Amino acid sequence: MEFWLHVLNWILLLSILGVSLNLLLGYAGLVSMAHGALFGIGAYAAALTARDLGVPFPLTVVIAVAFTTAVAAAVTLPALRVHGEYLILLTLAFQMVVYGLMLSWTDLTEGRTGVSGIPRPAIAGSALTTPTQFLPLIALVTALAFAVGWRIGESPFGRVLKALRDDERATLAIGKSVLRYKVAVFAISGAVAGVASALFAHYQAFINPFSFTLDRSIFLVALVVLGGTANLLGTFVGAVLFVGLPEVLRFLEARQDIVDAVRNLIFGGLLVLFMRFRPEGLVPEHSRLGRRRRPVTAPPDVTGAAVIARSGPAPDGPALVARGLAKRFGGIRAADDLSLSLSRGKVTALVGPNGAGKTTVFNLLTGFLPTEAGAISLDGRDVTGLAPWRAVRAGLARTFQDVRLFERMTVLDNVMVAIPDQPGERLGPLFLAPGRVARAERENRERALRYLAFVGLAHRAGDVAGALAFGEQKLVALARLLATEADVLLLDEPASGVDPQWVARILDLIRQCARAGRTVCLVEHNLEAVTVVADHAYFMEAGRIVAEGTPEALMADARLGEIYFGTGRR
Amino acid sequence: MDADLGLAAQLAANGLIAGSLYALLGVSWGMIFATTRIFHFAHALTLAVATYAAVVVVDTARLGLPLGFVTAAAAGCLFGLLVEIAVYRPLRRANATQLNVFLASLGFLIAGESVLLIVFGPEARTLPGFPLEGIALGPVAFTTIEALWAAASWALVLALLAWLRLTRWGRAIRAVASNPELAQCVGVDPPRVFVLVFAVGSALAGIGGALIALRDTASPFMGVQPVLAAFIAVFLGGIGSIPGAIVGGVVLGLAENMGGLLLPGHWQGVIAFVVLFLVLVFRPSGLLGAAAR
Repeated sequence: MEFWLHVLNWILLLSILGVSLNLLLGYAGLVSMAHGALFGIGAYAAALTARDLGVPFPLTVVIAVAFTTAVAAAVTLPALRVHGEYLILLTLAFQMVVYGLMLSWTDLTEGRTGVSGIPRPAIAGSALTTPTQFLPLIALVTALAFAVGWRIGESPFGRVLKALRDDERATLAIGKSVLRYKVAVFAISGAVAGVASALFAHYQAFINPFSFTLDRSIFLVALVVLGGTANLLGTFVGAVLFVGLPEVLRFLEARQDIVDAVRNLIFGGLLVLFMRFRPEGLVPEHSRLGRRRRPVTAPPDVTGAAVIARSGPAPDGPALVARGLAKRFGGIRAADDLSLSLSRGKVTALVGPNGAGKTTVFNLLTGFLPTEAGAISLDGRDVTGLAPWRAVRAGLARTFQDVRLFERMTVLDNVMVAIPDQPGERLGPLFLAPGRVARAERENRERALRYLAFVGLAHRAGDVAGALAFGEQKLVALARLLATEADVLLLDEPASGVDPQWVARILDLIRQCARAGRTVCLVEHNLEAVTVVADHAYFMEAGRIVAEGTPEALMADARLGEIYFGTGRR
Repeated sequence: MDADLGLAAQLAANGLIAGSLYALLGVSWGMIFATTRIFHFAHALTLAVATYAAVVVVDTARLGLPLGFVTAAAAGCLFGLLVEIAVYRPLRRANATQLNVFLASLGFLIAGESVLLIVFGPEARTLPGFPLEGIALGPVAFTTIEALWAAASWALVLALLAWLRLTRWGRAIRAVASNPELAQCVGVDPPRVFVLVFAVGSALAGIGGALIALRDTASPFMGVQPVLAAFIAVFLGGIGSIPGAIVGGVVLGLAENMGGLLLPGHWQGVIAFVVLFLVLVFRPSGLLGAAAR
């Protein structure tokens, strides 16, 4: 009996670590190969302060959490600039270093001998020693960890994490500070791991480096991935599987190292097969298991203009003015002393041959590329050099040529995530003002459905975005852009690569946005579309604006036609 | 003071010796990574499998060390091909994300290490037969094995560099590494190039593994530590740059060993990490990488 309760305790402890890693890996798409090391740092912090400094039990948990949170946040310092494979390498190296130190820094860790005699926690005067006595405590903490993990993962905060996972650039382009979310999720993940590690140290009363190896890190990753990323129920299933299988393998009655090898063989093989045949894991992200799914229905009273109208009185003058922008790539001038101005409530088009620098202009205006000279002002306010997400908050947002939806999220979530100033995006209100968060969530949900109704896709709200046709994806991208509530909308080829039937619809929506008071600028190759939709056009060639006027006037200019179609001798 | 200088010279020599091996492993992994963009963690398994093949030839069948090295290269080459064709290619066809390919690589590594352990047992094996002698050059002492490490690594690295620059296939590899779509347009077939880099890179890893087993030992888990050094070398130097991987390997070897002048021995690993950390923070594109990624 005691033995099976011990197994259960182990499952619970590992599932807490799983929650910690799933927040990073499953929700935010950030790999950590150092969770074993993090687990170790917390365990040593709790063990040494409890045994050598006589710190009492609950306080040791706080100390462990402080250490793991700080370390997780610090290790990610470079991770804030880099991602993907850099993060794998960085955490891998960190894992090896910490493990090495645990073995060799014997003055502190006692090396391979390990730290023994860690005091047992005493609750209400009696010390916990057996698995039975520990179970209520561990179960309670596990429940808490899952509750916190679930609250974070399934909230507006978690929605931004998933956006970050699916597309980092697009997350910036909807006005979210990627940096803040990365630091926060690493710190939270570290804190949750810290809790598990302190409990572990007190529970075992003995720790040595061999519990905190690279293998442990790999197993935690495998546990989360096989169980199902971005689904905490999956993490629990994974923990049961990972602790349960070795216990079953005991019946082989082979030597311990052979048993371990068989276990590794099975888990390694499963990992390869799952990545090939079921990358979403046992309990997938959009599984009905383990989460409530309310049916998605559109509000009955949907009219387009109501939701897209700009709020507040419009100031005078052009909405956006850029002067003297410049950008070089090597020897190529992608933007050269470039100036333009966008009239409020009008549609302006940027046309010109391929490579003229049109998308570069968008990148410069929205801060995705720093301009080398010049200034940009939005409603008279200087926005030069703002980070992309700050430019969006200031009211200047853009779409991408290649759409860049958050492909693994639902259509509704794609739009909801872009709504600014959601209280549930901040951890304080998320845990302290749940009523306010829930209310805002209901309103934002309705609001997002209205944007979707405006583009005519409310009926697809519950579908996963990646499953939509390209034309529909462009419409969702437009709804997402509107949801940022930006006044100036930069559309990068809104109608290209789309069936003709969609083109007319998209152009009509763009006109409606302008009529509602939004300022639109678009880059488009379809000249017919430009003539239909634009009030004013700039013609670009080789990083410069060479002509401007009504679209009709520009089309009629034979010289520009030559540049555009390349029929001249250039 | 003289003793300090002597120590510094010795540590520098140790650093260069370790660095040449890191450079060899760095280019072998870096070439695969730059071309295929796969974070090929199972390279560690290739190294171990090839070394065990050499151990069987040299220690069990007694066929002599030269044949052992040939076997290591051949086994590495074949094993690398197997991984590419049996594991990575189906994943690419299924449009797996880069992260999922990495996870599959990780799974393949731990599964493969387990097979090695079940077949060969956990005991360390050796690759005997190389005449081990000490060599003293002024204040610096090293062994004949270490001299072989450095000589063989540099010979292979330089041969690889020449091959990449001078041959048609080498140019195809560099083309795919710098721009796969464009390479396709000029008639280079990326899948064939992928097979090629896995074959060549894995053969080099096999030889690297055999070199390691000459001085140290062979074990199922022997590959992880050296391959991690290779990863670091590649990122230090800059992804996609073969000379970068060489420089990265040497810098890493020197930093690890010269650090012993300032810090106690068990901090050796920390120095490598700090160097990596600083480079990633201040120069994410690597020492020799292009300024913008």
